[in-house]
Amino acid sequence: MIALIARRLGSAAVAALLSALAVFLLMRAVPGDIVAQMLGQSGSDRSAEAALRGFFGLDRPVHVQFLDWLGRTLAGDLGASWYQGRRVTAMVAEAFGVTLELGLVTLLLATLLGVPLGMLAGIREGTRLDAAIQGFAMLGLSAPVFWVGLMLLVGSAAFLDWSPPFVYRDFSDDPADNIAILILPVLSLALLQAAAYAQFVRGLMVAELRREHIRTAVAKGLSPRAIYFKHALRNVLIPLTTFMGLILVQILGGVVVIESLFSLPGLGRLILSGLQGRDYPVVQGALLFVVLLAIGVNLLVDLLYAVIDPRLRR
Amino acid sequence: MIRIGRRGILAAGLAATALPRVLRAEDDLLYGAGDPQARRGGRVTIGSLVEPPALDPFRQAADARIRVSVLMYQGLFYEDESGTARPLLAREARVSEDGKSWTFALRQGVKFHTGQTMSSTDVKYSYDFMRDTSKGSPGAGDLSSVEAIEAPDPHSVVFRLSRPNAALPMTLTNKYGAVVPAGFLDDANSGTRMNEISVGTGPFKLRSFRPNSALVMERFADYWQQGLPHLDEVTFAVMPNSAAMAVALQSRRIDLGLFSRPQDTQALGNVPGLQVRRWPSLNQKSLDLDCNYGSLRDVRVRQAIALAIDKKTVMDAAIAGYGQVIGTMVAGMQEAWGVPLDELPNQRVDLDRARRLLAESGHPDGVEIDLTTIIGYDWMDPAALAIAEQLRRVNIRANIRRVELGVWIRNFRAREMGFTFNDWGTTPDPSLLYYRHFRAAPQGADFRNWNNARASALLDRGQEVSDPAERKRIYAEFQKLLAEEAPTIMMFSSDLLTVNTARLHNYRQHGTGWYFGLIRAWAG
Repeated sequence: MIALIARRLGSAAVAALLSALAVFLLMRAVPGDIVAQMLGQSGSDRSAEAALRGFFGLDRPVHVQFLDWLGRTLAGDLGASWYQGRRVTAMVAEAFGVTLELGLVTLLLATLLGVPLGMLAGIREGTRLDAAIQGFAMLGLSAPVFWVGLMLLVGSAAFLDWSPPFVYRDFSDDPADNIAILILPVLSLALLQAAAYAQFVRGLMVAELRREHIRTAVAKGLSPRAIYFKHALRNVLIPLTTFMGLILVQILGGVVVIESLFSLPGLGRLILSGLQGRDYPVVQGALLFVVLLAIGVNLLVDLLYAVIDPRLRR
Repeated sequence: MIRIGRRGILAAGLAATALPRVLRAEDDLLYGAGDPQARRGGRVTIGSLVEPPALDPFRQAADARIRVSVLMYQGLFYEDESGTARPLLAREARVSEDGKSWTFALRQGVKFHTGQTMSSTDVKYSYDFMRDTSKGSPGAGDLSSVEAIEAPDPHSVVFRLSRPNAALPMTLTNKYGAVVPAGFLDDANSGTRMNEISVGTGPFKLRSFRPNSALVMERFADYWQQGLPHLDEVTFAVMPNSAAMAVALQSRRIDLGLFSRPQDTQALGNVPGLQVRRWPSLNQKSLDLDCNYGSLRDVRVRQAIALAIDKKTVMDAAIAGYGQVIGTMVAGMQEAWGVPLDELPNQRVDLDRARRLLAESGHPDGVEIDLTTIIGYDWMDPAALAIAEQLRRVNIRANIRRVELGVWIRNFRAREMGFTFNDWGTTPDPSLLYYRHFRAAPQGADFRNWNNARASALLDRGQEVSDPAERKRIYAEFQKLLAEEAPTIMMFSSDLLTVNTARLHNYRQHGTGWYFGLIRAWAG
């Protein structure tokens, strides 16, 4: 187990370093920098540009900039936003709080909705119920998340005369507003992910129910409850755990659109506005965090795997 | 929908161009008309489709920053809707006979948000910082004629110029820079500190700024204009798109929304309790032609393009006709400064002449050219299709290329814009509109590589002359040259559209698109 963790941590470190380098170089490969953004169409002369470039350290060779940033990052300092002046670590933590809240609530709802639907469809394979659930899954998977979000937004205003507040407040500041602003984005994302769950779980259940040990259980006269939950669901849990990790990463990755659509100041918005404004420290820091997060989740899934399936511990 | 007439707003326009030797403050005329029924108190939420990247008025050129920072920071003058620069933190302005020395008497008892009292030292310090090109201020170029600023006593400052500059009062308005406490900007992190505290003299002060979410301002209790502002608190909520802003207005989550595309407000016209209003603007939607770019080097190709474009059709496609076709002057300044369109060359569609010009320029089979639009500027996409279709009639094949804003700004500043759409505004003075864009370097930025000596001479002269009639004549000559040589094709000004709930009273939208109107607005 320790060797497994050590191996995974080693490859994670290499992946993180390569990602950091890629993000750093990609940001600088995009034409235009913060100086052009700040000066816009004003008639400021070259010396103003040079002064600002010097201020941000953009006049140094790229490799010097990278090594400087890497050194600070390894020491735990992601720098400060060029626009906001706030520490990137604090900005990422604050934004991630919003994204994580959105992600976890979505994951919970999608799991509670998608897993039973998938199981039901798998158990009732070939029936109308199965067809209806599959129809829902197809719809959920094919509808773009921004469209679903927009329809929910416009629909709630038209039919319920209600819209979410557009100014985000933390749960600790204003629980009612916090919940109100999360309802529609969670629904938009959860619909898609529940559909993915339903499809996945249905496939697993159908395959599982055809296996010999299930036939044996049926022949032994076990109750359907014992067959489905004790024998079938247990085996489905392993791939489902992996899938859950993937879903969480997918949710966290897919929130950019939904955060933009509902004015949520999460990680996706932070990265997007950083990119638009060429706020290099913010984009580099936030993307590095996302990479580490994805690696961390995958690592966690692998470890959970080992817990669920003892064979993998060897 | 209520349409606010240009004529009403610009009634004083021509008179405004007169530059008397003495300008005196008229407080009742600052920030629009007051409302005798106004009540103090209340909070309002404003939906905004754009968000300021930061709040530093000295180093951030973004229009989204200016929109809100004018409520917290003030300059010596205010850019009145009629096109007049009215003394704001100045009480009186006197110009010397030779036009090279301006003396400003300052208002007394003006407090900064920090609690300090404003003096001439602060004014000198702030404008010295702004005009110092090594500080990186986007407004430095506009102050290049200032040689020295003196503070002879606590209540007056003197600007010494290298050449007369009739546009100086309008330059000292609120677009770039402001008066802040002396010494504040010495801190290298002062720019980012302004995201946490405001240090201006404006009627509102910053309470909080959470990027990607909201900006909150509160009434500044020690504000120098008695009884203003009326509102206790203003929240600017960043709206993801115009559909969400419409929803937020319908459900009264916000009290005011400023829309960038007029057609987005059409569905709101019939909603009870919402008021949709159209306002004339100082913006322009234009096509820029880099005079160093491929076939555009030849003036005849640029003229052929101008002659092939039907501006009205483009405007209808882009903004459903909610605007005004223009020639060489933004709509809000046309009556005061513009040359009538029928007196300008290359304004009427003439396909035969366009084809002839192309043939004479050595392109009898037409030309192929990239036409750049900016991602996120929704009006440009339908406009580009309309223009490509119109150009095709004279065998100019336009390939539409969409670029991200940051890339576009980089290309624009590097004078590598090619053939592109542009969307920009101005403070209401012709010198501020034209000089930096069209004056040859080094005095101007000449983004379009026009490098026209006659145009530069006219722009220099227009800045130096103080006689209003003479100034108008000079800028008329410049406009004819601009239309003739077509380094840019100004197509139309789009109306500004505001939608407000019934509880927000006396809000007037300024032609710049900035939120000056909130200073005299009140909540019912």
